Amino acid sequence: MAEPHFEAQLTRLFSEPPAFPDAELFATQISASLDRGWALRRLLIGGAGIAAGVIAAAQLITTRFSAELQALSLDGTRGLNADISVALDKFNQVVATPASVEALWLAAGLALLALGFAVTRAMEEF
Amino acid sequence: MSMDRPPTGHDVELAAFAAAGDRRAYGELVRRHGSAVRGLLRRMGADSATADDMAQDAFLAGFEQVSDYRGEGAFGGWIKRIAARCYLRKVKREARMILTDEAQDGDDPAALNEPRTATRIDLDEALKALSKGERLCVSLCYGGDWSHAEVAEALNIPIGTVKSHVKRGLDKLRARLAPPIESARREAHG
Repeated sequence: MAEPHFEAQLTRLFSEPPAFPDAELFATQISASLDRGWALRRLLIGGAGIAAGVIAAAQLITTRFSAELQALSLDGTRGLNADISVALDKFNQVVATPASVEALWLAAGLALLALGFAVTRAMEEF
Repeated sequence: MSMDRPPTGHDVELAAFAAAGDRRAYGELVRRHGSAVRGLLRRMGADSATADDMAQDAFLAGFEQVSDYRGEGAFGGWIKRIAARCYLRKVKREARMILTDEAQDGDDPAALNEPRTATRIDLDEALKALSKGERLCVSLCYGGDWSHAEVAEALNIPIGTVKSHVKRGLDKLRARLAPPIESARREAHG
């Protein structure tokens, strides 16, 4: 037999795959492996996405909360200082303003009234 | 591709679907070429369990690389090449093969003495008569369509050694296969 003919026969024999009774099972196993791999990949991507989202949200909230707290604190400090300044100004105005006669009589009347209440209470107690 | 219909079409078309992530299309390719890949690995000398493991690895690797397949050659040849490389990596890693130029004692004496049926051409049985190196080289050249140079490069052996393996392997196969082929041809013609 000529060599090329034999080689052609051999190539043809090699191209005929042996019959495997479990060929369908083999294909099914590979499909299942692909599905498992895909599911795992999706799980990992999803997990990584969720983790990244949580971290990003935490960072965002923390940064914003901190900024807002800082702003609030600054506002509060400014407001408190302003209130104190206003109160001091009013107090100074009151102290600095010369008292009128009506005010003095009113003050004296209130003082007498308070003294009367105090004497009455003292008499009830003792 | 519709999910309720089984994937059909040419291998190139299915490979394009698979490259787009269609696992059902790739499953059909596995169905079509699974036996060829498993058969080639067995013919290269892998035992059945190893051959199936390697074939599975090759198909899974093939799915990852299927976008590289442009349809220049047959899909079967492309996936068989991946499978053969998977097996060769394993062989080289385990240093199990002795690929010297000498004929080896690894020939299967049982296979050499097995009675042959008159007309049945059983390549797988005939391959058992070859040494591991001969079997690997012959299977890659005739089953995987590799050139001698490609086999030499993959096995990291001189090309002359590959040619020697192939020649000796062919001589042994011819001795076991040629008479049945001849008689089969005579029967067919006559």
